[in-house]
Amino acid sequence: MLKRKFSVHRSVSIGMGMLLVVLLLGSSESPALAKDAVLIGGTISETGAFNTDVGPFRKLMEAWAEMINERGGLPVEGKKLPVKFILYDDKSDRDTVLKFYEKLATEDNVDLLLGPYSSFLTLAASAVAEKHQIPFVAVEANSPKIYERGYKWIVGVLAPATIWSDHYFNLIQAEGKAKSIAFISEDIVHAREVYEGAIKKAGEIGLQVVFKEVAPSKTVDFSSPIAKMKELDPDIVYISSFHPFAVAFMKQAKELDLNPREFHAIHHGAGFINALGRDAEYIVGESYWVPGIQKGDAKFFEELLKRSGIDAGEWPWAAIRMGAFDAVKAGIEKSGTLEPAKLMEALKTLSTETITGTLRFDEKGVGTMNTIPTQIQNGKYVLIWPKAEGMPAGEHWYPTPTWSERK
Amino acid sequence: MSFTVFIQILIGGLLQGGIYALAAFGLSISFGVLNVLNVAHGEFLMLGAITSYGLFKFLGFHPLLTVLGVFPLFLLVGFLFERLLLRPIRANSPHEFLIASILVTLGASLMIEDVTFFLLEQSFISIPFSLPSLKLGGVVLPSIRLIILGAIVCLTLLVHLYLRRSFTGKAIRAMTQDKEGAMVVGVPVPRVAMITFGIGTALAAAAGAFYVILFAVTPSIGIPLTVRYLSIVILGGLGSLVGSLIGGILLGLTEALTNFYLGSHWAPASAFFLLVLILVLRPQGLFGYK
Repeated sequence: MLKRKFSVHRSVSIGMGMLLVVLLLGSSESPALAKDAVLIGGTISETGAFNTDVGPFRKLMEAWAEMINERGGLPVEGKKLPVKFILYDDKSDRDTVLKFYEKLATEDNVDLLLGPYSSFLTLAASAVAEKHQIPFVAVEANSPKIYERGYKWIVGVLAPATIWSDHYFNLIQAEGKAKSIAFISEDIVHAREVYEGAIKKAGEIGLQVVFKEVAPSKTVDFSSPIAKMKELDPDIVYISSFHPFAVAFMKQAKELDLNPREFHAIHHGAGFINALGRDAEYIVGESYWVPGIQKGDAKFFEELLKRSGIDAGEWPWAAIRMGAFDAVKAGIEKSGTLEPAKLMEALKTLSTETITGTLRFDEKGVGTMNTIPTQIQNGKYVLIWPKAEGMPAGEHWYPTPTWSERK
Repeated sequence: MSFTVFIQILIGGLLQGGIYALAAFGLSISFGVLNVLNVAHGEFLMLGAITSYGLFKFLGFHPLLTVLGVFPLFLLVGFLFERLLLRPIRANSPHEFLIASILVTLGASLMIEDVTFFLLEQSFISIPFSLPSLKLGGVVLPSIRLIILGAIVCLTLLVHLYLRRSFTGKAIRAMTQDKEGAMVVGVPVPRVAMITFGIGTALAAAAGAFYVILFAVTPSIGIPLTVRYLSIVILGGLGSLVGSLIGGILLGLTEALTNFYLGSHWAPASAFFLLVLILVLRPQGLFGYK
């Protein structure tokens, strides 16, 4: 029995010794593993409050990677590498975003990060990228606050929220028909920034601001602001909000017979027409792209939409994603490497054509993709400005008939 | 402000309050009778809205008639909810049962919200339905809200008659007054509890069927609405349908007038002050029993 005990003890010792040797050998520097893919990380709000804006975008991103890989991939260190996304559902939640961006940075070891939906979540995600010094491309996020932190590892494709409706007001100025405007805004970061910028721009072009109010996000009873607006009879009623707020407002505007010459809702895609039906007609809002715009690689984008089964009118922020993809592709092509500092430098100094025009970034990383005004006409989003080459602008239906005049 | 505008605001507040009242009825019944603080009440409103939307979109129901499908369906849902989740914890003391019911219904609320977010392809829905409004002088009467208010009044009357005239209704009222006494005289408490909870759930879902016509419904509206309806129930008095109606209307009017004179950010605070004022003056609520 003593002999058997000693034999077991010896076997265990030898085994442990071998394990130690293997560990020591394994931990010594081994030749660097060659890169076999460009890893791009990010989160998508597949569930939660933001899924109405970007819910199906995993398909869009994976289709883009597929199409790029069919074309040979992206050039890195003299050879072409396939693109691979590592994506998680952030549930439209800030804490979940932080968790997953840390994971992408420290466990998944991505080469580049794409931002989540919204300025709110991007503020959190970009802080992780800055900490780990990973190039970060902000996507659907345009709050100026993102770029006031002095971060070095961020660029964002969108122009600031404060100039969201600039093209629309340029149209109004050019037409010279509207003289007064009433504003109502949802009390949420993005909507307030757009609202404040729009009030300023309206004043600059000579519109009289007759009413302005910020209402809590969960407001369902708009009878008071509507009653006040009716007394003031503005030419334009401008609603700066996300969809539920705007839908509730529009429904009550019809009930209470508010008849400005135009309604403007900054977000009028993704379910807006379904919710209002024919009452959505004539409403002007902002989009980034409509079919027929011939800028950048429009054919590639149309193929991408078809492959991923995403309708650009229903999901208007698909165009922003495409802008981000263009920036990533151009940045990697320019740097020719995934070395973080060089890639970041290439991104910051980019000037590239996208489906919405030339994209470049200022010294803080703020991009130049801005919206264009589109009007709901016969259930479709029609571009109404600017009238320029490559932009199939249609007729601006103004003034909007009163509710009783509409069939 | 002109007199016409003042009347318009009053009418708006009244109609809004009527809409609040319907969902509050259900909570009042389940809290007042069963001592169940149903935190998932707002989720049943939300699910009722989604069901109504589905009946409209996929089965072609008229938007104002979807409630005829929603009400009986959620009666059944309420039966099952009470039987499977609440009855097992009923053996505890009243205080423990109340706490347990809050925890159980809170868990159910969070689960319902998450699952709905996951399954719903779009995170807000609304039925695109409207009717021309009536005009009396300079005052606009939204006919759709008047019709909905009329439907709410009819539904409330039906429930009231049921509670007054039917055996089960009398049993429910008996339980409100004295549960042990009701058991002694042979009231089948578990069955009546199931029916009561079913009625409460069905009323919440019916409110959702109207809510989805007037507003946009998202999966996250549940808990904020439950808090609001709880305020109305406490304001009006536990177990009182009339109290819930008056409480709802008072709340709607207060919010509308505060909104107009002080601005929309003061409306939620005004609701809170109203609740505190009523409770200080009459702790049992407007129509509650001491």
